[in-house]
Amino acid sequence: MSSHRGVLGAALLIIVIAGMNGCAAMSVHPWDRDLLAEKKMKLVPSPTERAIDDHIYFSKEGSTGGQGVGGGGCGCN
Amino acid sequence: MQLDAPSPTRPLRHRLRSAACLLLASGACAGKATAQSGNTQLDTSTLFYTERGRTTVVEPMVRLTRSLSDGQSFSAQLVLDAMTGASPTGATPSKIAQTVTSASGSTSTTEALKVPVSPFRDFRGALDFDWVRPLGLVTPTTSAHVSRERDYRSLGASEVVSIDLMQRLTTLTVGGGYNSDEVTPIGGTPIGLSDGSVRTQGSNSKRVASGTIGLSRVLTRRWLVGVTGTRIAERGYLTEPYKVVSLLDSVGTPSDQLTEKRPESRSRSGIEASSAYHLDQDVVYTTYRYYWDDWGIRSHTLDFKYRHELGSTTYFTPHVRLYAQTQADFFSGGLQQGVPLPTFASADYRLGPLRSGTLGGTFGFHLPKSPGELTLRVEYIHQWGKGDRGDGETGDVEGPSDDHRSSVSSTVTHPTVAPVDIGTVVLGYSVGF
Repeated sequence: MSSHRGVLGAALLIIVIAGMNGCAAMSVHPWDRDLLAEKKMKLVPSPTERAIDDHIYFSKEGSTGGQGVGGGGCGCN
Repeated sequence: MQLDAPSPTRPLRHRLRSAACLLLASGACAGKATAQSGNTQLDTSTLFYTERGRTTVVEPMVRLTRSLSDGQSFSAQLVLDAMTGASPTGATPSKIAQTVTSASGSTSTTEALKVPVSPFRDFRGALDFDWVRPLGLVTPTTSAHVSRERDYRSLGASEVVSIDLMQRLTTLTVGGGYNSDEVTPIGGTPIGLSDGSVRTQGSNSKRVASGTIGLSRVLTRRWLVGVTGTRIAERGYLTEPYKVVSLLDSVGTPSDQLTEKRPESRSRSGIEASSAYHLDQDVVYTTYRYYWDDWGIRSHTLDFKYRHELGSTTYFTPHVRLYAQTQADFFSGGLQQGVPLPTFASADYRLGPLRSGTLGGTFGFHLPKSPGELTLRVEYIHQWGKGDRGDGETGDVEGPSDDHRSSVSSTVTHPTVAPVDIGTVVLGYSVGF
């Protein structure tokens, strides 16, 4: 249980740091977002590949989730 | 404090183009997005999946997305799975050949020291629909799902809302989903931890509710990060009806087998942190996920991709993924004969002390004088059990917990996860028109 608190704490810390970095992020002006606007500049660059991987690992491992909700169940023998 | 000094190398016209793109509020016009200029996007892929000596899967997928002038988009996706081969039954390998008689009276023999497997053939079809409708800074996405295979049917819907904050530098995402599934085992549903001779007909329900909350944020001109948490609650029939657990004699030799039995609820949680960092041309993607559930499984997943630009329309993305999980509380390599049975037991290696490594890469390119982008991904996955690698030494079995599953203390330590080699090839094609 303590490990869960540690992970949740770390996640909160990341969010807080991200929030504190607001001033720095504000320096990313709209005309400086050319790189961020590129199609490849996404946390999930290929949703198709991600969906394929989620299906493979869902059926081959004991874990799932982490990103998004829904999607299809399967028997996955 | 200024973290990003103005870049002297970027020409003025580049900056003006970026500003114009943003004024048009269209991500599609940035950079090399000329291929995405149409209102309709077609994405297709075919997965070829094979496990050495086990399962082979061919999975074609086609997705059509229609975007409207007001920003709305509709997507429809069809996925077909053709599966053949053999799946491990969960029975323990033996030093002598094993002959098992099923409930239907058929017999199968497994060679000595081989993992007992059961042949199967199945076909699965899945349809997914998405509706995205931007409303200023808020973007709801409504999704529906239906899939069907011989012994499994899934119906689901979800709603995810993304909210852009702080001049679109931060995006908050909140969502929930619900799946109503039905499991109809071929030959009937066996009673858990029995010899499988008594079966009930009809379907078994399985309900899955999920929720997610995430935050993504632009940290610098080159760096985007995000954190997402998910929670999944499963209720109903969660047992694998075709899996068994061996009964072992006093020296650990399998002498018989029982059907497996799992709890009828499972709460799963995960936190995933992601990062995308733009170098001069290339992009580095890093993802870490921590997962835990009330069956006792904890896992760490580290995923690393590096997109290296080979030319204006050609790239290569190496991919490494590392995965490690602890075993479920009721996981067992075999039950000792003559000892009272536990409440739950499963020998499914996916609930064992599993390790997995993935190595591969994606090559993306455009054919001359042709629209759209082609991708070819080749990957190798190796799975093994902690302590089971190579010489078959025994796996680790943690001490019994203090809940109802502690009755698994009667289980016998045994090699649990046989190494598996998996190869995958994905051919993809995307075009806008």
